[in-house]
Amino acid sequence: MKYSTGLKDGIVVFALKGKIMGGPESAEFHDELKKAVVAGQHKLILDLGEVEWMNSSGLGLLISALTTTRNSGGELKLARATDKITSLLVITKLNSVFETHSTVDAAVASFK
Amino acid sequence: MTPLLPASSNSTETSLIHDLLHAESPSSASRASFGDRLELLGERLHELADLSGRLVQSLRDGRTDTDLADRFLTVWREAVRGEAVLELFREVERERQENQTLMEISMKLSSSSAIEDVLHTILDSLRQVVNFDAAGIFVYNREMGQLEIDMLVGYEKSERQKLHQKFQEGVKIGHGIVGTVIQTGQPIYDPDVRKDRRYIAAREGTLSELAVPILLRGEVIGALNLEADRMDAFSERDLRSLTTFSNHAGVALERARADRIRLHSRRMQEEISLARKIQASFLPTKTPDFAPYDLAGTNFPSSEVGGDYFDFIPITQTDMGVAVGDVTGHGVGAALLMANFRACLRIESRNNFTVRAILSKVNDYLYETNLPESFVTAVYGVLDRQNHMFSYANAGHNPPFRMRRDGSIEWLQVGGLLLGAFPNVDYEETAIRLEPGDILVFYTDGVTEAYDSAGSEFGIDRLTSLVRELRDLPAGEMVRRISDSVHQFQMVDSVQDDLTISVIKYV
Repeated sequence: MKYSTGLKDGIVVFALKGKIMGGPESAEFHDELKKAVVAGQHKLILDLGEVEWMNSSGLGLLISALTTTRNSGGELKLARATDKITSLLVITKLNSVFETHSTVDAAVASFK
Repeated sequence: MTPLLPASSNSTETSLIHDLLHAESPSSASRASFGDRLELLGERLHELADLSGRLVQSLRDGRTDTDLADRFLTVWREAVRGEAVLELFREVERERQENQTLMEISMKLSSSSAIEDVLHTILDSLRQVVNFDAAGIFVYNREMGQLEIDMLVGYEKSERQKLHQKFQEGVKIGHGIVGTVIQTGQPIYDPDVRKDRRYIAAREGTLSELAVPILLRGEVIGALNLEADRMDAFSERDLRSLTTFSNHAGVALERARADRIRLHSRRMQEEISLARKIQASFLPTKTPDFAPYDLAGTNFPSSEVGGDYFDFIPITQTDMGVAVGDVTGHGVGAALLMANFRACLRIESRNNFTVRAILSKVNDYLYETNLPESFVTAVYGVLDRQNHMFSYANAGHNPPFRMRRDGSIEWLQVGGLLLGAFPNVDYEETAIRLEPGDILVFYTDGVTEAYDSAGSEFGIDRLTSLVRELRDLPAGEMVRRISDSVHQFQMVDSVQDDLTISVIKYV
């Protein structure tokens, strides 16, 4: 798993890449996200367009990212979830918890 | 604070032998070997013999050579002075002692004694050749960039605690006398520690300190340190002894490191085996008789302990709880979460609430006790054999299916969010009426997401067609055949997931 951090209209966009399956890289990403939240960023987007695969630990990462953001009064939205990830969200019913958008722009617009 | 010994390393005694040695060549004298010094004494004794011969001759000749007599008496008195002779014998004894203790250490090292014993032996033996009041063996932890204490002797309990605390807070390489020795690889002799700002005071009374590096295959792995309550307490000879001992300490520490790793991994292995046994005891060993239903389930953890779970929980004569679950991750963490989930589900299911109430309670309990990133997906249902109803709720789990006699399939998807990640979750439940010939199949993603060498997935379609093919077999046989075919399908060296499957047949 790799990630890059960008800013779009004042909203932090984390673009995740590769296989999300827990481990030290996930912990590192979560720390980065915490830093953004602590720094006062309350509108966050996870761009999942380049994610090849995600296991249950990967889902755990999405959940803890959402929890961290919401606990500080913020909101985290998902963008460009692939079919595979969408079906995972549907099976686990996490689609009832996460707001998902088909593009990053749409996710950004939804914050306005 | 010279790294090497000061010139006046010997005691202040003014024995003949010392005078002799110093008169010959002051700079090399202190480094003269024991043999050289013995030879000088021999020469002196020869001189005495010569003098006595000449004295006897002069007496026989009736002459009294007073100069000769004085000279003889001076040399004779000094030569036989107790101190000088004793010093020589002390040296002999010390040499013998050192050789013997080195041999003992070598024997200890080659035996399988515990590391603490070996290090104690090294320090105890060192005490027989060098006079010191306290000693320590320190190792350098390269990963942490810090020094660690391996052994201390001669410290009061409070002093020991103080030093341990200092090291726990972090003593870096280059810090203190020991840290400097480890950094430079050079010995340090401090005849007066009060004048050395590097000295980390931990022990009352220490006035001088001698530290040498412990080397292993040319690499500094630690330091051996002696302290004395006198100023300028150590000699160059002590430095040589300490260096010899530190080489042995290097070998012992290396062995200790290997022993510790071996012991640690053996303990881990034992604990994991125990966890495996405990976990295996969580799964039904024998499927309950529940006619007219035929029940079976199987579980293969991907590592020794896993995060999958299935259960048949007898609730009443007519009701049987049925559960399949998958917790986040693998290994020990997953196994603990699974144990927690199982305990909680079993307790709540016995209370015979509605299925949706049970899952809500389990969710809240897991949410309160679990880490935020861990969760459980599960299906829980109650099979009523009197009314042939199956009431269930699916908490974010891969949907089980019912296959009817005609081969048609219905997915069991009603429920709600996965368990343990969010508080106050409501679940929906539904009840399906079962007909003779119906088969209910529960599984975890280890079945559907098994990959073959070409990277294709076992998939849900393969599972449903397999069930259709095997439908006339007893439940136990179906479960066995399905897990066999997943194993055959799966690439041998692929990342494997826990695999669980259970089947209920209305015969």
